[in-house]
Amino acid sequence: MGKAYRELIHYLDVTVQVIKMAFMTIIEYPSNIAGWLISNPLQFIMGFAIIKFVVASFGQINGWNYGQLAFLYGLSVISHALSMIFFVQGWFMGYYVIEGEFDRYLTRPLGVLYQFFFTNINIFGVTDLIPGILVFIYGCVKCGVRIDPLFIIQVIIILTGATLIRGGIYILLGSTSFHTRSAVDFGQYTQEIMDKTTMYPLSMYPESMQFILTYLIPVGWISFYPVSALLGIDSACNRMLVPFITLAVGILVMLIAGVYFSMGLKKYESAGN
Amino acid sequence: MKKYLYVVKTQIIKSMTYEFNVYGNIVMQTIIMITSACFWKALYKGQGMVGDVDADSMLTYVVLSSLLSVLLITNVERRIETSVVKGTVATDMMKPVNIFGIYFAEDIGNILALVFQNMLPILIIGSLMVKVPLMADLRDLPLFILSAAESFLINWLMAALFGMIAFSAVNIDALIQVKKHLLRLLSGSIIPIWFFPPGVSKVLGLLPFVYIYQLPLSIYIGRGDRAQQLSQMRIQFLWLVILTGLFLYAQNRATRKVMVQGG
Repeated sequence: MGKAYRELIHYLDVTVQVIKMAFMTIIEYPSNIAGWLISNPLQFIMGFAIIKFVVASFGQINGWNYGQLAFLYGLSVISHALSMIFFVQGWFMGYYVIEGEFDRYLTRPLGVLYQFFFTNINIFGVTDLIPGILVFIYGCVKCGVRIDPLFIIQVIIILTGATLIRGGIYILLGSTSFHTRSAVDFGQYTQEIMDKTTMYPLSMYPESMQFILTYLIPVGWISFYPVSALLGIDSACNRMLVPFITLAVGILVMLIAGVYFSMGLKKYESAGN
Repeated sequence: MKKYLYVVKTQIIKSMTYEFNVYGNIVMQTIIMITSACFWKALYKGQGMVGDVDADSMLTYVVLSSLLSVLLITNVERRIETSVVKGTVATDMMKPVNIFGIYFAEDIGNILALVFQNMLPILIIGSLMVKVPLMADLRDLPLFILSAAESFLINWLMAALFGMIAFSAVNIDALIQVKKHLLRLLSGSIIPIWFFPPGVSKVLGLLPFVYIYQLPLSIYIGRGDRAQQLSQMRIQFLWLVILTGLFLYAQNRATRKVMVQGG
């Protein structure tokens, strides 16, 4: 018990140092900071504007009104931002495999997956977080949600689960590079698919697709089912239960991803000969 | 010319190295295309014409947008960035070729490979699973090909111009993202701007983005009359001229800058 505790403290200590270093590195290129500050909020402001325009042209989207869509969109963007902060490196895992970058991690006395994600923590993800929170609050107001401690706890549980689901999927996709030995950057595609399936109600898609997105690739749990439960849109979704299902699904996806990553790492050959 | 053709050939061979990338890309793009198709089907449920377009034309639009997106993949901005960061740009410029000509040839080679690796499979899958993307009026074909060619050039020039910012800013990851988002959301590649409020779409009509995706696609599905299409093509051509001018100017400036640094 004492040993495990000491190890945990050690990891936390390293994390704090690493975050400090991440702050130092982002100020290396000033034009880059400006770029991220414009690019990320711009993406979500425009994305949200487009939802507004679509609702204006078509009335509503599959029975969801504008306020409910804002709530869904906000929650989805917040979990996206959190996954960008902690897990975006999964998108670039292929390059690390090809260029033998894992050598450095393997020689250090810390978990490889921990180092891979936390030594490259992406502070710029915060620029996604702010527009997400703004849209979410707007959605809460529009839907007349009563914000009480219970609601806040539920949202935090949902966000934890949703971030783990997203992160797990990034790791799973990234780890394929160990087997294929190629640097594939599916980030762009992954995000586009995630956008389509988490920012709009899943119920608008055919049933076969809903089945896949609920059970096989569980992105439905990122935002659609939790929001249906919280706003009481679907009476089959229990308000008390769904946040915990999201959390459980997130932990499960993360565990599978971890196992798959370890399997891949065993196949890893370094850059040397 | 021969030198550049050789680069095109090399790039085609390079693109064929990794099989998994090819299949992975096809799978991902298929999923995106099918979700988009379902998205529009759900929106059009119980509605006839929205924004002067019916559900059927919108499905053609989706399939064709996926096909067109293959032609609009550019690598030039990343190439410039890496060669500036690694410093190889100085030696590249000493070679007896135009460095931007080489980048252009590489992108052409890449796209030629993708036509077979990506475009054809997507066309077949799209025809089977979504809809056979038939052209609304075959007489518009020359106009469509011309506008698609121009949109390819506009897209490439914009990418090259963004890439050249790397000569002074060095790291342009974020700027590449800005360009990507602008292109994705304002070009009509996902949602055509005729669904936007009139004021917004009027402003967007003055920017080059809609002439990359939306103009060729709307000609293909036969939206608007001939006069309207021709007047839009005039704006497209104007943008092509403006961007070419900017490109030549920036190319001169950038070359001089590198020469000075090299001593």
